[in-house]
Amino acid sequence: MLEVEHIDAGYGSTVILQDVSLRVDTGEVVTIVGANGAGKTTTLRCIAGLLQPRSGRIRLDGQDITELAAHDIVDLGITLIPEGRQLFPDMTVRENLMMGAYRREARACQSQSLSEVLDLFPRLAERLDQPAVSLSGGEQQMVAIARGMMARPKILMFDEPSLGLAPIIVSQVFEVIEQVAASGTTVLIVEQNVFHTLKVADRGYVLENGRMTLEDSAAALLADDHVRQAYLGI
Amino acid sequence: MTDIATTLTSTPKRLAGRRAATFGLLAVLAGILLVPIGLNDEFVYHIFITICIFAALSTAWNIVGGYAGQLSLGHAVFYGIGGYAGVMLANLGISPWFGMFAGAGVAVIVAIIVSYPCFRLHGPFFALATIAFLEVFRVLALHFKEFTGGATGMMISLNIGWEWMVFRERLPALVIAFGMMLVCLAAAWVIRNRRLGFYLVATRERESAAKAAGVNTVKVRLMAVSVSAALSAMLGTFHAMYLTFIEPEAMFSLEFSIQIAMFALIGGIGTIWGPLLGAVLLVPITEFARGALGAEAIGLHGFVYGIVLMLVVLFMPNGIMGLLSRLRPAESARKETEAAPVAAEPRASGRTDAGEAVMRVEGLNKHFGGLHVTNDVGFTLREGEILGLIGPNGAGKTTLFNMLSGFLKPDEGSVSVRDAVGDWQHPASPGEFAALGVGRTFQIVQPFAAMTVEENIMVGAFHRHAQVGDAREAARETARRMGLGPYLDLEASSLTIGGLKRLEVARVMAMEPRILLLDEVMAGINQTDVRRAVDLMLSIRDTGVSIIAIEHVMQAVMSLSDRVIVLNSGQIIAEGEPRSVVSDPMVIEAYLGKEFANA
Amino acid sequence: MEIFLQILANGVMLGGLFAIVAIGLTLIFGIVKVINFAHGEFLMVGMYLTFLLTTGLDLHPYIAAAAVVPALFVLGALTQRFLIQPLLSARDEHVQIFATVGLSTALMNLALLIFGADIANTPVHGVRSQVQLGPVRVLEGQIWILVAAVALVIGLQFFMKRTTLGRAIRATAQNRAAAQLMGINDRLIYVLTFGIGAACVGLGSALIAPLYPASPTVGTYFVLIAFVVVVLGGLGSVAGAFFGAILIGIVDAMSGFYIGSDLREAVVFGIFLVILILKPSGLFSTRLNQSHVSP
Repeated sequence: MLEVEHIDAGYGSTVILQDVSLRVDTGEVVTIVGANGAGKTTTLRCIAGLLQPRSGRIRLDGQDITELAAHDIVDLGITLIPEGRQLFPDMTVRENLMMGAYRREARACQSQSLSEVLDLFPRLAERLDQPAVSLSGGEQQMVAIARGMMARPKILMFDEPSLGLAPIIVSQVFEVIEQVAASGTTVLIVEQNVFHTLKVADRGYVLENGRMTLEDSAAALLADDHVRQAYLGI
Repeated sequence: MTDIATTLTSTPKRLAGRRAATFGLLAVLAGILLVPIGLNDEFVYHIFITICIFAALSTAWNIVGGYAGQLSLGHAVFYGIGGYAGVMLANLGISPWFGMFAGAGVAVIVAIIVSYPCFRLHGPFFALATIAFLEVFRVLALHFKEFTGGATGMMISLNIGWEWMVFRERLPALVIAFGMMLVCLAAAWVIRNRRLGFYLVATRERESAAKAAGVNTVKVRLMAVSVSAALSAMLGTFHAMYLTFIEPEAMFSLEFSIQIAMFALIGGIGTIWGPLLGAVLLVPITEFARGALGAEAIGLHGFVYGIVLMLVVLFMPNGIMGLLSRLRPAESARKETEAAPVAAEPRASGRTDAGEAVMRVEGLNKHFGGLHVTNDVGFTLREGEILGLIGPNGAGKTTLFNMLSGFLKPDEGSVSVRDAVGDWQHPASPGEFAALGVGRTFQIVQPFAAMTVEENIMVGAFHRHAQVGDAREAARETARRMGLGPYLDLEASSLTIGGLKRLEVARVMAMEPRILLLDEVMAGINQTDVRRAVDLMLSIRDTGVSIIAIEHVMQAVMSLSDRVIVLNSGQIIAEGEPRSVVSDPMVIEAYLGKEFANA
Repeated sequence: MEIFLQILANGVMLGGLFAIVAIGLTLIFGIVKVINFAHGEFLMVGMYLTFLLTTGLDLHPYIAAAAVVPALFVLGALTQRFLIQPLLSARDEHVQIFATVGLSTALMNLALLIFGADIANTPVHGVRSQVQLGPVRVLEGQIWILVAAVALVIGLQFFMKRTTLGRAIRATAQNRAAAQLMGINDRLIYVLTFGIGAACVGLGSALIAPLYPASPTVGTYFVLIAFVVVVLGGLGSVAGAFFGAILIGIVDAMSGFYIGSDLREAVVFGIFLVILILKPSGLFSTRLNQSHVSP
């Protein structure tokens, strides 16, 4: 479904990614694992169109989307839930969620989407008319995920969804991700919480210093000595 | 070492290029003086005198607007002060040669009073504030007629001769204007090549990194503003005597201020010679337009200025100097054989095991809005110890670092540092922390992008060495130790993330700190380099430096730290030997979640 | 007392005038994060367009607004698209400042080339007639300006809160990257916003033209005051700009009468500097707009 082929990317003259390739098939949950600064977020930004790769191609269902603008890529059905939530702070929770359904396909059924995500996150129903900035970190992450789902994307990408959350909330977040995947949405997830993520994922890639060094099934990666040593601390 | 820089080209033409540039410059300067003398035409003289004045004003502006990056659009304030001081004193029978220094003195005082509160304003707001000050001065000059003559202006009393700066012929005026231009260029050159210039550019590029390197950012900016104001005022005095008539609308003019800045922008903002080139190119065009087309084309030269300004920012934002530097061969990496970081030699006294406390942190609390980011954090750092600080993302580690280096004031609690003599101090600002020998790196690297690797490290080295030569020597030594030796002449912006991380550490090391705060310096670098970095940090520790290191790479934390503190949700949840901390169930849960702890 | 009330009324009317110039400026700043130094020249262009339409086609200036407003929208949109947008990624702020300063210089001198330095009087069509309001007298045109300013504030609030485009504009202003991730075309939003901001001052120019003569430098005076008003009201806050404008209008009128008309500007800019330095977030601001000062 999504193919990333040999992309190089960076900021200014700084190189972050070198020759990165990956593949996500329909209905899969795929994860990219790696240390802070390895280039995981940059990979997602390239796919989402926020950053233009210097070389290489990115394809969605065979269509070349490498040079499309971010908003066009959203229209094609790829949504990124960015690191650090990135809500619209002075807008209410309801307005934030409505912005999620901005893309044309999603706008038509936004009220249906809204009731669906509120079923998933009943806490948010009580908070609909509060400004997003007044929510707790965990609630804000819920809004960010719910906002991403409002777009009804084909592929939903998560960038560090557990960042800065208490362990109990982290477990909830991963439950939600499992539900999203169960509903048929394809998921690409980048996480520092390697153990949790590999439990949820089907397949995983290891990104080190801007290069893909390993690709395997999630179960195999969990058992891999290198991964265990480098990322699980055991 | 392939991961440090993306480009490594070598050319032997650099010297030749530099020589060509010097010849070009001398030719331009000689031309300014000799062309009018050769042609001996009133109008040509006038144009070249005007070139000198604008080049000089623009060069003076550039010290503030370019080096310091404080975009003043009110520089005519200083020019006007100089003009009025000169004329008013001349009419009292005091020579403008004295008047110009009186004007400069007043301008410096005004500059300091005006600038000090404005420095916290960024970009356009600083510009707006300077415009507002200019307007206030203009209105006041119009109002106090008894001193300034008000809107009708003031004629100077026509005493002719060198002591009055007023001449029948044009040549002496050209000589004075040319001399003043040379003074301004020399001042700009000297500042750029001294510690002050390095500090100004560093402050412009990354204010927080400059503060961490011990730069008193307010003081260096005030010095720049003072020099710039004094030079502008002296030029104002001369220009007033040259024009023989002044009025508020002309002396405190916004359009004039914009022109001064514009020449610098077009020539190359922040460069030494850019303002000169900008004035040389543009003044003749506009003066010819004014002279040849006259009243029929009123507004034409301004229209051209505006269009040129827009085209320059769109298509050559680095100005003429930017174009010229593209012609010259690129700076290249030096051919040096050494590459890997070299371990430091242990200090003669040797390592003091678990020495005395050098930093005490007590009861730190910090709230952001409703978020309790640091909750009653306290610990002690000992001399020659490496203290690992770990915890999940968002646990508050970087916030804690900001409080340990003066960048953030805690709501409650205190940080005390023992000075070199052994007394406990309570530093409050980044500058005070730096002065006590606390150096820090930033998690998000903060290179001075427009400077070379060597210059970046020199900014740190200036903390201990006031002279450029000594600082350069110290910077090279540090670079060699950090494995940056071959890249000294590269622009910092051409390094990879790994290289920038190393540069970040090198800049702090050049400060020769006693306490080193390292924020994730190993993030994103590969296994071999992690190994190397660990060795480097151990060797630094062995010279008696105490280190607090935030790190995510577990393997590094384990082999590095003498002691580890685990932070979660702003609280210390564990502290002790690395081995025992990692097996603590609370730590495992915080990092990996409940299931893993039970598994 | 009657004199005081009359001066107060003059101040409020002057404030309405400042408001209608400043609203577009604060809108552009709040959303696009660019200080448009050419905003005063937009006003000047609008006033000359009104002058040409009223004298050439013998239109009422308020009817000419129907053409001036869209024309200014296009001028603003083009400015964003071809001057600001290419500079959005520029590392140094000075580039954007010089870009609009350059546009300002070019437009002002273009007007000087075309119209000369003389003033151009737009036909008044009766809007300079005096109206008695209780104890005070004001010009009919001034009332319309105040009404238009109030309507503009309310209309913009409604547009921003209740329409999809308005919400998209707010979203882009609050978090540009996140807005892109929602599928919002941020560049288009910026172009539209700049256009709307310029259209606001276009409306102002048609209303102001019959009261004040147009000249190439007419924008300079108004825009400096507009900057004061925008900072005072809290950058980017439309309602704040309105109240800031009224306040400055009153200060201007009062200081003109009680201190001296030639020192009015010194008082206004003095207040501006004090606010900028002591409370740079403005008098009526929200916590959002502090990006221009160091903590």
